[in-house]
Amino acid sequence: MIEIRDAVKHYGNLVAVDHVNLKITKGEKIVIIGPSGSGKTTLLRMINFLETMDSGRILLEGTDAGYRRDRKGRLVLDRPEVICKLRSEIGMVFQHFHLFPHMTTLENVMEGPLTVKKKSRKDAKAISMDLLGKVGLLDKKDVYPAFLSGGQKQRVAIARALAMNPKIMLFDEPTSALDPELVGEVFNTIKDLAEEGMTMIIVTHQMGFAKELGDRVIFMDNGYFIFEGRPNEVFSDRMDNPRVKAFLAKVL
Amino acid sequence: MEVRRSVSVLLCALTFFSLFLTPLASAAEPDIYEVLALATRYMHDGNLDKALELFQKIPPPGKGEDGGVFVRARMEASKIYFIRKEYADSARMCDEILAIFPDNLEAGNILSQVRAAQTPKWLRFLKDMKTYFPTLLKASGMTLVLVLITMLVSPVIGLFIALGRISRTGVLSSVFWFYIWIFRGTPLLLQLFFIYYGLPQLGLILKPFTAAILGLGLNYSAYLAEIIRGAIESIDAGQMESAKAIGMTYWQAMRRIIVPQTYKRLVPPVGNEFIALIKDTALVSTIAMVELMRAADQIFNATFNIFILIQAAFIYLLMTSIFTISFRKLEDRLGVYEAR
Repeated sequence: MIEIRDAVKHYGNLVAVDHVNLKITKGEKIVIIGPSGSGKTTLLRMINFLETMDSGRILLEGTDAGYRRDRKGRLVLDRPEVICKLRSEIGMVFQHFHLFPHMTTLENVMEGPLTVKKKSRKDAKAISMDLLGKVGLLDKKDVYPAFLSGGQKQRVAIARALAMNPKIMLFDEPTSALDPELVGEVFNTIKDLAEEGMTMIIVTHQMGFAKELGDRVIFMDNGYFIFEGRPNEVFSDRMDNPRVKAFLAKVL
Repeated sequence: MEVRRSVSVLLCALTFFSLFLTPLASAAEPDIYEVLALATRYMHDGNLDKALELFQKIPPPGKGEDGGVFVRARMEASKIYFIRKEYADSARMCDEILAIFPDNLEAGNILSQVRAAQTPKWLRFLKDMKTYFPTLLKASGMTLVLVLITMLVSPVIGLFIALGRISRTGVLSSVFWFYIWIFRGTPLLLQLFFIYYGLPQLGLILKPFTAAILGLGLNYSAYLAEIIRGAIESIDAGQMESAKAIGMTYWQAMRRIIVPQTYKRLVPPVGNEFIALIKDTALVSTIAMVELMRAADQIFNATFNIFILIQAAFIYLLMTSIFTISFRKLEDRLGVYEAR
C-alpha cells in the first residue's frame, strides 16, 4: 500500500537516508532497528511528510503522492491541503508523546476528528471515548497530560492517532522515553493493535517489538538498509552480518 | 412780575450759597488728606505702628462724602496687618470698608486672602483635595478608557503582526519588522506629537482622543507583537509536528494548539506592558487630552497643593495594583493544566 523508491535525504554533507527502497503491504508490521543517527527516524518522518525527500518517490496504492515538481523542476512538497489530507490517513506516535498540554486526555483524542475531520462534538466524543477505553484510560479522560505517567501519555498519544482512523501507524521509538517499568503497558497496547491487523512501522531500540510483532525486521545504518529479514533470521545464531551482530550484542 | 423776580433772586442766592458752601465744607476737614499723606510717609519709612495708628484715625465718610480717603487708609492698614500676619485686624479693616461699600472688590479680595491665610495649610490642602477629588476621579475615567481600548486593540493587532513575522512570507515579515523597528525604536511622546501635531500638516487632522488611541495602540501593538512572537516561538516544536501529524493545517495548528498554549506564558510580560500603559497614558496629556495627569497638573498649578499630586499618584497606584492582582489571578487560572 505504501512504497518508497530511491529516497534520499541530506542534512548538509550528512546523508541521512541513502537511496532507500521500502514496500509495505496492508497489514504488515515492519520494525526498523539500528544505532542512533542511522536514519530510521528520518525515514519514518518522510512517510508522513514531516521530512521532505531530496529525491525519490513515495507511492500510495501505486500512485505518486505528496510531491510535485516546481517550475525549475525541483522536487517540492505538494500543496498544504493535499499533504494534510495524506497525513490525516497516517497515524504517528512520537518518542516524546507531544500531547497537547492545554487539553484534557479526552480533548486530545477528540481534536483530530473535531478540527480535521469536522465531525460533530457528539461523534468525536463517541469515537474518543471508545478509543480511550481501548487503551485503558477512560478513567483519565478529564485529566490534563501533565498529571499522567509517561506510559499513560503514550497510550493517549496512540488513541489520538487512532482517532483519525489511519490506514497505517508510524511509531517513532514509542517506548524510548519511558521508565522501564512503564514500557510494558505501551508495548501491550501496540501489540493489541497489531493483532487487530493494523499496518505499522515501528522504529525502536526495544528488541521485544522486533521479536514479537515484526513481520519483517530492517536493520538500518548510515542511511541505508544493512539487513532485512524475518525476526527469527535476525535473532538467530546463524546471523552472519558483523554490524548487525555487533549491534545486537550491545542491545540484547 | 414781582414774584418771578424774587424767585430768581432766591435761586441766585441759593446757587451762590451752595458754590460757597462746598469748598467751605472740604476746608472744614483738611486734616484727613494730611493724615493720609503722613501715614503713608510713616509706612514708607518703616514706622508701621505709627502708620497704622494714623490710618485708623481717618473716620468713615460722612453723608455725601465720597470716602476715597477712608477706603485707601483702611486698605493700607489691612495690608500692613496682613504682612504682619495679624489676620484678625487685617480682616477688621476690610470689614469696615465692606460695611460701607459692600461691592468694593479690592477689600473683598484681601478679605478672602485673609480668610485663606487664617485657615491652617493642612486644612486648606484637605479642602482642596475634597474639592478637586471628583475632577481627578472623572479624569481617571478617561485614563481608564484609554487603557482599556488600547488593551483590547493592541493584543489583536500584535498577534496579527506576530503571526506575520513568523510566517515565511518575506514581504509581510519585512513590513512588520519595519513597523516594529519604528514604533519600538522611537519615544511614544514623539509618536504622539507626530500624530497630533505633525499629521495636520499633511492634511490629516485628528481629534485628541483619536490621536491618543492611535498613538498608544500603534506603539503597544509593536511591543505586544514581539512578546507574542517570542511566546509562540517558545512553544515546543513537537506541538506543531504532532498537530500536523493528525492532519491539521498550519493555521489550524496555530489557532487550536500553538496560540492557546502561549496564553499563560503571555500573562506576565503582557501584564507588565499594560501596567506600563497605565502610566504611559500620562503622556497624552501633552496632546490636549484631559486625563488624570493633565487634570492633576492643572489643579496643582492653580492650588500649588502638593497633596493633589499625591492624590493622583494614589489613583495611579490603585489602578496598577488592581491590574497586578488581576493578572496574577489570570495566570493561575490559565495554568490549571500544568502540574505544580
